[in-house]
Amino acid sequence: MSLFQIGGFAFLGALCFWVGRGIRVGRIPRYAAAVWLLLCVIAAVLIADPRLTVLAARALGIGRGADLVFYSAILGSLFGSFLFYVRIRRIENKLTGIVRELAIREALPPSREQQ
Amino acid sequence: MHLSPPTASADDVFVIVPVFNEASVLGEVLRALLEAYPNVVVVDDCSHDDSGAIAASSGATVLRHIYNLGQGASLQTGIDYALRSDAQYIVTFDGDGQHRVEDIERLLQPLRAGTADVALGSRFLESTSNIPAQRRILLRAAVLFSRATSRLDVSDAHNGLRAFTHHAASRIHITMDRMAHASQLLDQIGSAGLRFTEVAVTVRYTDYSLMKGQKNSQAAVILRDYLIGRLVK
Repeated sequence: MSLFQIGGFAFLGALCFWVGRGIRVGRIPRYAAAVWLLLCVIAAVLIADPRLTVLAARALGIGRGADLVFYSAILGSLFGSFLFYVRIRRIENKLTGIVRELAIREALPPSREQQ
Repeated sequence: MHLSPPTASADDVFVIVPVFNEASVLGEVLRALLEAYPNVVVVDDCSHDDSGAIAASSGATVLRHIYNLGQGASLQTGIDYALRSDAQYIVTFDGDGQHRVEDIERLLQPLRAGTADVALGSRFLESTSNIPAQRRILLRAAVLFSRATSRLDVSDAHNGLRAFTHHAASRIHITMDRMAHASQLLDQIGSAGLRFTEVAVTVRYTDYSLMKGQKNSQAAVILRDYLIGRLVK
């Protein structure tokens, strides 16, 4: 087993542990945990036998395994960015609601001298 | 400036004025509004100047955002407040002095008559607005875009002077906090099946309003916000 494989498996093991704990405390929804675990399994298989990336790349018409990993990483990053953006937007919407509620609750009525 | 008094009771009308750093013109805008309408609600979007103090001393109700959210968010804050205050009619009115108080009653007429739920001000129905040529082209493009997305046959998509009945305002919920809210409003009017009409109004372009208002270059940002806003609820 190469040094990279030892490091890779250790990282994936830690990731799986983190996901498992997230499910237990209710921090990670089950569907998200399932996606994370699936990605971990795929990564583990490819780390165990890197030649599989070449087979997968040829099957997809890409050619080199390294290119397949590279393209997948780019697409994954884009998808991850989108998910983060959605989450930020939702937090912004909640923040807007809080600021709005504060503004309404602390409304300054018309000053008396102008009445 | 002589103002024609409202023909019906103005007590049931709430005028929402979203404000961000308008201290130099706000006093005059509010004075003219309060002469005709007792319920003026200024939404101060965390101005850095004296806008909030000027609004408070003018006799208007003041709602203050503790940080800057944008005009769309300010309008929704004002609308929420007016709905909770049992307003029968809600008018949105820009704080930069572009709008005329006497146009409000023209907007309210079809609502009071029960022929429309929403009255949208249009600067293109009559050629009384001194619109700069570049701005006119951009606004025309915005109209074509809004017609395509909302499927409403409007002549002016980004006019801040509008009036809603209580029922119509309760069906509206602006989530696009910044300037893309104008297109979202049209979408919601269409999807809620609200009856709308356009009323000719005059928009006064002054050096101040051109300097302070939307820049032509912001069109791309508004388009981006609108598209993303539609994608992400």
